[in-house]
Amino acid sequence: MVCIRKATMDDLLAMQACNLFCLPENYQMKYYFYHILSWPHLLYVAEDYGGKIVGYVLAKMEEETTECHGHITSLAVLRTHRKLGLATKLMTAAQNAMEQVFGAEYVSLHVRKSNRAAFNLYTETLGYKIHDIEAKYYADGEDAYDMRKQLKGKQQHQHQHQHHHHHHHYGGGCCSGDAKAE
Amino acid sequence: MGASLPPKEANLFKLIVKSYETKQYKKGLKAADAILKKFPNHGETLSMKGLTLNCMDRKQEAYELVRLGLKNDLKSHVCWHVYGLLYRSDREYREAIKCYRNALRIDPDNIEILRDLSLLQAQMRDLTGFVETRQRLLTLKPNHRMNWIGFAVSYHLNSNASKAIDILEAYEGTLEDDYPPENERCEHGEMLLYKISLLEECGFLEKALEELRKKEFKIVDKLSYKEVEASLLVKLNRLEEGEKLYRVLLTMNPDNYRYYEELQKCVGLYSETGQYSSDEIDKLHALYQSLVEKYTWSSAVKRIPLDFLDGVKFQDAADNYIRPLLTKGVPSLFSDLSPLYDHGGKADVLEKLVLGLEESLKKTGGYPGRSEKEPPSTLLWTLFYLAQHYDRRAQYDVALAKIEEAMQHTPTVIDLYSVKSKILKHAGDFTAAAALADEARCMDLADRYVNSQCVKRMLQADQVTLAEKTAVLFTKDGEQHNNLHDMQCMWYELASGESYFRQGELGRALKKFLLVEKHYADITEDQFDFHSYCLRKMTLRSYIEMLRFQDRLHAHAYFRKAAAGAIRCYIKHYDSPPKSSTEEDDELAKLPAAQKKKLRQKQRKAEARAKKEAEVKSEEANVSGVSKQGKRNVKSVDPDPHGEKLLQIEDPLAEAGKYLKLLQKHSSDYLETHLLSFEVNMRKGKILLALQALKHLVQLNAENPDTHRCLIRFFHKVASRSAPTTDAEKLVSGVLEAERPTFSQLHDNKSLMEANTVFLEQHKDSLLHRAAAAEMIYCLEPNKKAEAIKLIEESPKNSVSSGPLGSVKESKLKDCVAVHKILVATFDDQDAALRWKNRCAEEFPYSTYFEGSLCSTITSNITSKQAHESAENGGIEFVPSNGKVEKLDAMKNLAI
Repeated sequence: MVCIRKATMDDLLAMQACNLFCLPENYQMKYYFYHILSWPHLLYVAEDYGGKIVGYVLAKMEEETTECHGHITSLAVLRTHRKLGLATKLMTAAQNAMEQVFGAEYVSLHVRKSNRAAFNLYTETLGYKIHDIEAKYYADGEDAYDMRKQLKGKQQHQHQHQHHHHHHHYGGGCCSGDAKAE
Repeated sequence: MGASLPPKEANLFKLIVKSYETKQYKKGLKAADAILKKFPNHGETLSMKGLTLNCMDRKQEAYELVRLGLKNDLKSHVCWHVYGLLYRSDREYREAIKCYRNALRIDPDNIEILRDLSLLQAQMRDLTGFVETRQRLLTLKPNHRMNWIGFAVSYHLNSNASKAIDILEAYEGTLEDDYPPENERCEHGEMLLYKISLLEECGFLEKALEELRKKEFKIVDKLSYKEVEASLLVKLNRLEEGEKLYRVLLTMNPDNYRYYEELQKCVGLYSETGQYSSDEIDKLHALYQSLVEKYTWSSAVKRIPLDFLDGVKFQDAADNYIRPLLTKGVPSLFSDLSPLYDHGGKADVLEKLVLGLEESLKKTGGYPGRSEKEPPSTLLWTLFYLAQHYDRRAQYDVALAKIEEAMQHTPTVIDLYSVKSKILKHAGDFTAAAALADEARCMDLADRYVNSQCVKRMLQADQVTLAEKTAVLFTKDGEQHNNLHDMQCMWYELASGESYFRQGELGRALKKFLLVEKHYADITEDQFDFHSYCLRKMTLRSYIEMLRFQDRLHAHAYFRKAAAGAIRCYIKHYDSPPKSSTEEDDELAKLPAAQKKKLRQKQRKAEARAKKEAEVKSEEANVSGVSKQGKRNVKSVDPDPHGEKLLQIEDPLAEAGKYLKLLQKHSSDYLETHLLSFEVNMRKGKILLALQALKHLVQLNAENPDTHRCLIRFFHKVASRSAPTTDAEKLVSGVLEAERPTFSQLHDNKSLMEANTVFLEQHKDSLLHRAAAAEMIYCLEPNKKAEAIKLIEESPKNSVSSGPLGSVKESKLKDCVAVHKILVATFDDQDAALRWKNRCAEEFPYSTYFEGSLCSTITSNITSKQAHESAENGGIEFVPSNGKVEKLDAMKNLAI
């Protein structure tokens, strides 16, 4: 039904349009560039049969902190394309890449306290837990749940790639902070 | 730097530079003033002070000081460098490059200036210069990783990928065996993948694969590794290995269509057109049946077979596919299946199938052949599907009946209202469509999707003010209206521009179109910071992709629409400049000189006052913006919110030309580009450029009615020109004589009227073609007006439309509207227009344009009908024809 694949440069404008059409938190194009030019592995899109972008996940690595972890910047699925499990598929793809490419320990995200549907998806389907509450996180004054999920799926991960016997199962380094902007 | 100063001042100078770098501008300013107290003419200090002021938003002073500094010390590379930086901050890259070059003439090995220059060269795609600069940087500092990479990238961009490979390999040669250290593994892996992509680009496939496998343990990004490996194997025709790998990739992501496609290629079952022999279909069927068992989670693997199966197998597969999705209530089921409506016959099968399900659900509460009952929602989603199905087949009355049945079944499902809104829009009732979308919006005020959908419908119904009020409900960030623009919400700006244009508000329309154009300029600008960032981050494959994306950015659909919209505004404005200003001038001219002077003074004063007010306001906005947001949220008050000034220009066609150039460069495959070029150049009297546009049109689509119009109009116009006198005119005539016979439409020395008759004969079943031919009869021989109009009126009711299969009727409605406009504008025949309108009102009863009997602008006057609609729609009235709804407005206020 819907194709789940890594985002390319040509998807960015459509991702921005999708974001503006269905979410209240928006970003300028440059922020999308920043993501894809820093962590191209972490952007995924859901594309329908006609080639239209109906969902995406935009994610990053937090490089400032000592603990290497990923962060979901934005996740959207058009209302017309609910009930297909797209959000789950997109999130899983991004989380896998965080773990596999960057060796992330955990992944974090923010969600509006009032957004029950998203909250349920994160807690029940995807296994996120509330880590903290950030008061007045959003521009309109609403609080956010700061949620986290441990990425300890490494056994499963190794199982999947059994035929590759190399000494590094997950990469390192990109969180060491030596790649800061000038 | 600061060499000519005594030690104390030299130290102060260092402090200025440091303060600039650390953004402590006040401190830097203080130090500069201390030096200038003693040495008021010190060039470098003056320059640095200017640069510092530039960062404090004192641009004019900045330029003055920097120029003065340079004048005082022309031999200083610092002064030139600063001048370059100043230009750079204003995006004047060409000027900046000149300054840097001057600085380098004085100090050729200055690393900083070389680096800054290289960034500008990358930005401006001065690729030869970029290679040179990068080479010098590497020569000067060969121990920096970034310089090696930068040099390689410069060669790659300058179309020499194999040289880039050599450079990267030389770089690898400088590395220790145990490279990379743990914290650089990602970057190094990216570099290797980049190098392999270069090998692939050069066609060294074997070598690419070999290198990939050799470096496997150093490549961290395992997914890319596998994707590259698989793609190389397919290119090398090592299909069995490729197949294995694609199967592995599918276990990792069984929803990636490309993997299925490639897998099909590997097993020799792929066709570009989707056409397969029955033997191939059987094999494909077997393949996907085996895949379904493996990837139970995947929806792709279940959906793809519907594309290639046919006959009974298609029917069975569709049945199996549809049932669980209806039970689950998947709202996108129809849109998922809609591509099948282009396959002949599949739509009929689907119709029969779903009608069968509906009948069974109604009779037994379950699917045919099943004893277990379905939940009540299954019937709802079945009706939902059927409504969209009939909408697609342009049977709007059936579609509306189905969706209303669904609404009665469960009145609380928002999607039903959205779909009803869509059906009404297709049927031509934009007003009712907007009202329905607003109902949907009110059912979930926290969902921006239904809000956006509603705004879109309101704009389609030309309710711009209401649309704006609705849209800003979701821009919670201070200055509400600006937020949509700041966030580059292009669909909104485009749609409101188009609405303003329809309403003849050219200034406002132009304003919106140019805002969209501005976003594209900003996006081009966005790349600047990444020229250095990506070299450090080593995300080189993405970086190159980004540069290529930027090079074709202006080919994007939003830009194309915005540019075309702006050009139309300029053309329309040129054709009918607003009277006010010229009339005013005329009146002014009649006044005696003294009075005239007074009046002018008054006007000037008023203008100055307005300007000052705007400045004060903008200052206030700046301050509050800074305090609230902390940084860079400077919002100036728009001095021309309605785009009036945009239209007060000397030469609108010259303005149009700017955007036309971009369209010609980036969207030359589009008919519209050349139509606009034709219109602009005909008005400019640029005959040869108009001819060029015409030739493009004929090449792209000779049968298009607009192409035909241009052809006839062009040769009609040049025939009426007076005999050439000047050399230039004779030259033009010569070209025209030589070119005329190259148009096959005019072969055998056909007259234009004859060519028009041939065109009509070939396309007499198509409404738009008939209309074009009729218009051209009238254009060639105005006395044949009655005959021309008759031609239009005699078009068969079921005449073929130009639109794609399936949406025939909706595009037919559009065509009929276009024809009505021709009757009004070109033929200026009110009686004929009225007859046409009445005829179309019958054919399109929901159309508000033709005031059909079922459209909301009519029905809202019929009380009983209104009461019925009102009850059905939860008490919200339909919008009256003026588009302003107090009641809905009131609800909106409650909503915030």
